[in-house]
Amino acid sequence: MLPEKITREMFDKLVALAALELDEEESEYLRTELNHQLAAVKELSEIPIDEDIEPSLHGINCQGNPPRPDEWKPFPDPDAILALAPESRERYFVVPDIAQPGQEGQ
Amino acid sequence: MNTTSLSALEIVLRVRAGELSAMQVLEEHLAQIAAVDGIPGQLDLPALPPREEQKVHAFIQVTTDLARQQAEQIEAKVARGEDPGPLAGVPVSIKDIFCVQGTTTTAGSRILYNFRPPYTATTVARLEQAGALILGKTNLDEFTYGSSSESSAFQPHPNNPWNTQHVTGGSSGGSAAAVAAYETPLSLGTDTGGSIRQPAAFCGVVGLKPTYGRTSRYGLIAFGSSLDCPGPLARNVSDAALMLQVLAGADPKDSTSSIQPVPDYLAALAEGVRGLRIGISPDYDHIAYPDTETGEMGIQAIQPEMNQAVREVAQVLASLGAEIIENVPMPNARHGIPTYFVISRVEAASNLHRFDGVKYGYRTQKPVQDLTELYRVTRAEGFGLQPKLRILMGMYVSAAAHAAHYYQKALRVRSLIRADFERAFDPTGPYRLDALLTPTTPTTAFRRKEVLRDTVLMQYSDQMTVGANHAGIPAISIPAGLDPQGLPIGVQFFGNDFREDIILRVAYAYEQATELAPWRQEIPQALRAAEVK
Amino acid sequence: MMTRYEIVVGLETHIQLNTETKIFCSCKADSWGAEPNTNICPVCSGLPGVLPVLNAEAVQKAALLAAAMHAEINPVSYFDRKNYFYPDLPKGYQITQFDEPIGKGGYLDIHMPDGSTRRVHIHKLHLEEDAGKTKIEAGRRLVDFNRCGVPLVEMVTEPELHSGEEAAQYLTELRQLLRWIGVSEADMERGHLRCDANVSIREAGSTVLNTKTEIKNMNSIDSIRQAITLEAQRQIAAVEAGGRVESYTLDWDADTGTLRKMRSKETEADYRYFREPDLLPVKLSEEEINRIKSSLPELPYARKMRFIAEYQLSAYDADILTSERSLSDYFEETVGLSSTSPKTVSNWMMNDLLRLMNDLGKSASELHLRPAELAEIINLVESGKISPATGKALLKKVEESGRKPAEIVAAEGLGLIGDEDALRSQIAAVLSESPSEVANFKAGKESLLGWFVGQVMRRTGGKADPKRTRELLLEMLRK
Repeated sequence: MLPEKITREMFDKLVALAALELDEEESEYLRTELNHQLAAVKELSEIPIDEDIEPSLHGINCQGNPPRPDEWKPFPDPDAILALAPESRERYFVVPDIAQPGQEGQ
Repeated sequence: MNTTSLSALEIVLRVRAGELSAMQVLEEHLAQIAAVDGIPGQLDLPALPPREEQKVHAFIQVTTDLARQQAEQIEAKVARGEDPGPLAGVPVSIKDIFCVQGTTTTAGSRILYNFRPPYTATTVARLEQAGALILGKTNLDEFTYGSSSESSAFQPHPNNPWNTQHVTGGSSGGSAAAVAAYETPLSLGTDTGGSIRQPAAFCGVVGLKPTYGRTSRYGLIAFGSSLDCPGPLARNVSDAALMLQVLAGADPKDSTSSIQPVPDYLAALAEGVRGLRIGISPDYDHIAYPDTETGEMGIQAIQPEMNQAVREVAQVLASLGAEIIENVPMPNARHGIPTYFVISRVEAASNLHRFDGVKYGYRTQKPVQDLTELYRVTRAEGFGLQPKLRILMGMYVSAAAHAAHYYQKALRVRSLIRADFERAFDPTGPYRLDALLTPTTPTTAFRRKEVLRDTVLMQYSDQMTVGANHAGIPAISIPAGLDPQGLPIGVQFFGNDFREDIILRVAYAYEQATELAPWRQEIPQALRAAEVK
Repeated sequence: MMTRYEIVVGLETHIQLNTETKIFCSCKADSWGAEPNTNICPVCSGLPGVLPVLNAEAVQKAALLAAAMHAEINPVSYFDRKNYFYPDLPKGYQITQFDEPIGKGGYLDIHMPDGSTRRVHIHKLHLEEDAGKTKIEAGRRLVDFNRCGVPLVEMVTEPELHSGEEAAQYLTELRQLLRWIGVSEADMERGHLRCDANVSIREAGSTVLNTKTEIKNMNSIDSIRQAITLEAQRQIAAVEAGGRVESYTLDWDADTGTLRKMRSKETEADYRYFREPDLLPVKLSEEEINRIKSSLPELPYARKMRFIAEYQLSAYDADILTSERSLSDYFEETVGLSSTSPKTVSNWMMNDLLRLMNDLGKSASELHLRPAELAEIINLVESGKISPATGKALLKKVEESGRKPAEIVAAEGLGLIGDEDALRSQIAAVLSESPSEVANFKAGKESLLGWFVGQVMRRTGGKADPKRTRELLLEMLRK
């Protein structure tokens, strides 16, 4: 059975998973809105649906281009991408190291 | 005569004929912006001077130099006798959710405050190639999350030109306002749950959501990948058709863009509505609204002028020879918003994962212990409340424990919503509609700050528009009058897959037949205040 | 002691496809040795607003591999997003195939040295994109996106291997297969073929699956064999001592030959998989699937068995000649063009051609010396026109000059003297110069025949036809 409302504890876990951090006021406001939205969504579970109704990933039946040919087309300016980095060194993007052990990852 | 009062089509014809200089067009529109727009949206705005309250604030960035270069090129082409393009000399504004090389693209968010993309969105590139003048980037709800454009990190947010105490709607609020205030005759917006049509309705302009895949999403910073549609905003239907013609068509850079051939939208416009079947649905004359404590669904009446407008539009179309089919059932319309809450949030949460301070945009200046803290503090500081809420909602309903209950179920309800439209448009079915006529929004533009804190109520302003996003079909909102407060009323036509030509045609017929209606002579308050036009 | 326990091993392999470009953008698939962040574009570096576009060739190669692994090729498969945060993952999600992959089921038969065959099943086979690379320097993490988006196929075996040896054999035969059908270079040192192992133990005869550990960072087949063997021993020792096996991820250090605990596997991330909305379903028609299946070449083991049966090769020879597809093609083509026995061709290839290939660092398909030329050289030797030594030397000469063997023989005068008159006169000269040896031969020391042959060889600079010389010597000595 799914929980009716998101508790403060569940909410805090969700915030951590989302790689966010919230102050007290934000937490309470967002948790309240989240629960209101879940209430609005509740009716979905009550809609009767036949077994044979498939999920629609897109509304229409997409008819797109076929997969592309395997031809190398280098991006003209990779340096422009690197230049966007908040921190870079010797052509690397630089970030702080990961805390060891037990971090989120593969 | 000031070129700001010309339609896009009129500008093109005169520029191509050498009768009008692109530079003159540009300068007069820049002057209009200077007169009515006020200060552009910016981060960390200190107090707003009182006189700015009456301004439109449609823009985050006015790209004067870029536009001047483009105007010079147009003039040079015309002088050489070269074809300057189907939008030659037409000023266009671009919702700041589109990546445009040579500009910052902020998505209305601090987390992209300094992002200068090394590429241009396909839709914008097509406008440039067609000879349009890109005048600037318009303000929006942060990451397009909202229906009022109030949530932008770049303040002041846009104000409704018809009454600057009221919102423009959103998320393409800046785009709708820029068009309504004669700052640009055309604007490029996006529609994910109604974000072109709802602000178009609030601001008294034309807004078209094309069929999903009709216009390329390449270069559009994604919100709901299966829902987002770039589309035109304009002051009249032919201008919208003109702009759609340039935007539409397959793009090898977007796997979901459609290879369906693009018809000539302008050619079909004046064919009239004789013999067309236009439906009206009782499921679109009210909204289904939940009790946010219990989740109990109740019926809520919509502003009476909305249903009145629908009846009047139907009458006009009937008098032109269309067949009006009443009582078309659309039983799953009521599920549109709950379904949207789930699907759009799952996609949004995932699409926002890449904003982490590693590769581009904002990174926190605070000292951090490790990478995880970098992510958390950067995203906490960089995102406003609306993105945070969408991330949390999206993650919750797609969590392994909940996904079947929420996300998978919502995808199947989407099929039901789609089935309603398929039945309505089925040429062998009971209704065989060419278009479905509904109000665009439950109310006219609400007051600033009135709805912002209530995120459920805010989302429900999209209840009438969102069905088209779920089903992928095209839909257009056109002005159909003003309410007793003088605020614009919009009506909407839904069409079948890739039948933008038909809904444009129907809209055009109504527009032409009501050309002389008194309400069309009214001037938006912001323009009266600035004493222009 | 060891026989009380059975080792249970499952392998997770990631195979880098040898397409020209990445799976979702047109950057190069192979950027080994390139400067960091030079082989990138907005798509593979996770910039906002850009979209993935599928590489058709990646689909073809994955389908071909599925066929070679006897897996069912799914006519419709889907991409999904796997969401998590990590600096080498620029979008914050990996595009992979979660529940509807391109290949379902499948197996690879491996052949152990003791002659037994083991069938190792895989659960499924799916396409996904590779992540970038990171390294640590002065407490900071440096990130390179060159490798982001490289096409990978992931295959996970059932826990059906029971030793480090079996795991090593599986990797060896998988590597051979990947190169054989041309979907991957499978060079483990360059990360074209990566393998993680799941290891557990149980009482011999039991079918229960106990807690397993995961071993990562094994970069060679030897490492795989060593690491698994070591870990199994460690687990057995722990259990024997009254402890239990805990679920850990272990890092293999090849330099020290040791395993190090990385992290506990207790907290499984929730990846919130959902269908990738930016991509359409991957569709393969029945015609395409049939075409792919029928384009599969004869696979290594089947070819080896056929070589043994058809060409009467030894298992050892057949093994070597089918270790590489181009080598086995070369062998078969040479046999077809040559009038000698396949065994002879095999000897030439195993002894001389392989040495030449090793010296030059070339594969069979890269040689200038083609099967037609090898066949010609063998024929020249077998028909006595040149000596075996000349023949061996010709291999290199043809390879280097690109000229035909007969042309070189003529130009350099390498032909054997087979003309009877010429030989008789040479023999007569030798006999007249060696009267005491002639006398000894006639007195019964028949072993001197070899010495006489040698003398004739010396006089003719090695060009006398040995066989004919021998015959004529005998005739002339016995007169």
